[in-house]
Amino acid sequence: MNNERLENLAKRLGSEAAARLDVDATARKVVERLREQPVHRIAWVQQGWLRIAAALVIVVGGAVVTSRLTPVRRTGVSTHPAHFVADDLSDLSADELRDVLGSFDQLISTDSVAVPEGSTDLHELDAQQLRAVLRALEG
Amino acid sequence: MANPLPRTDAAPDAALIAAWRDGDEQAAAELVGRHARPLARFLAGAGAPDADVDDLVQETFIRAFRSVDRFRGQCQFRTWLLTIGGNVLKDFGRRAARRKVVPLDDVVRDATGDPQEHAEASEAEELLAAGLKRLPRLQREVFLLRAQQGLAYEEIAAALATTPGAARVHYHHAVKRLKEIVK
Repeated sequence: MNNERLENLAKRLGSEAAARLDVDATARKVVERLREQPVHRIAWVQQGWLRIAAALVIVVGGAVVTSRLTPVRRTGVSTHPAHFVADDLSDLSADELRDVLGSFDQLISTDSVAVPEGSTDLHELDAQQLRAVLRALEG
Repeated sequence: MANPLPRTDAAPDAALIAAWRDGDEQAAAELVGRHARPLARFLAGAGAPDADVDDLVQETFIRAFRSVDRFRGQCQFRTWLLTIGGNVLKDFGRRAARRKVVPLDDVVRDATGDPQEHAEASEAEELLAAGLKRLPRLQREVFLLRAQQGLAYEEIAAALATTPGAARVHYHHAVKRLKEIVK
């Protein structure tokens, strides 16, 4: 059988069922059914929002569970300055504390930071005074 | 309800769809009148029992009109309708399988024309119909959309959310298998 004959056969498929269809009656029935069961657009929209909300709950819940189950990696020294100061403050020498504070020079020059009385230069501060400054910066 | 749209045969489907969205029931009836028979052919070709074709056509239109907001003109309205018909038929098949209903196939054939020629054609058609039922759904629908409805691969691809190349491949696989069945 060649393609043409196959396609001709396919064109005839269902033609009897289609010919028997009372199109006007079908159209009437469709319109009646649409009238009896109007489209509930609002309900559909509400369903849509419910699905979105459910998806959000699943995603957020999954993220929370994952973050709690995943062990926090500690690599010794945190790269974040705040963690650096908070975690290892007591282990730093005076020179190291000065290096850290060097990056805060701009902040220290403002009035919001309490510098120990009598001090005009960071280099004149000892380790204890520098710790006091850092703690003040931590708030 | 909106004022009925004055219609001519040339009124495009898009105008009727817009009118239906505004509540014009006559526009819906007009769309049914235009597309019901091609849809019935498609459903019957895809394996719908003759006795259920009318119900399946109605169900397809109901589903289409209720979800018409999702039709964005990516293909012709008729093509979109046929794909909905495919889903309706699939759901019908599932329900029938659950109820274990064996479709009645007591079709009264047209007895006009040369009886022998008619018998041969009917036999070939029945073989083709049986062969189509054995194809995967996508191959069956692509074959019918192409061979029965005469649609271009681009149109078929747009309706089935695939590529024209993939549609062409499905069609050729379907033809190959059907040729083996209908010899």
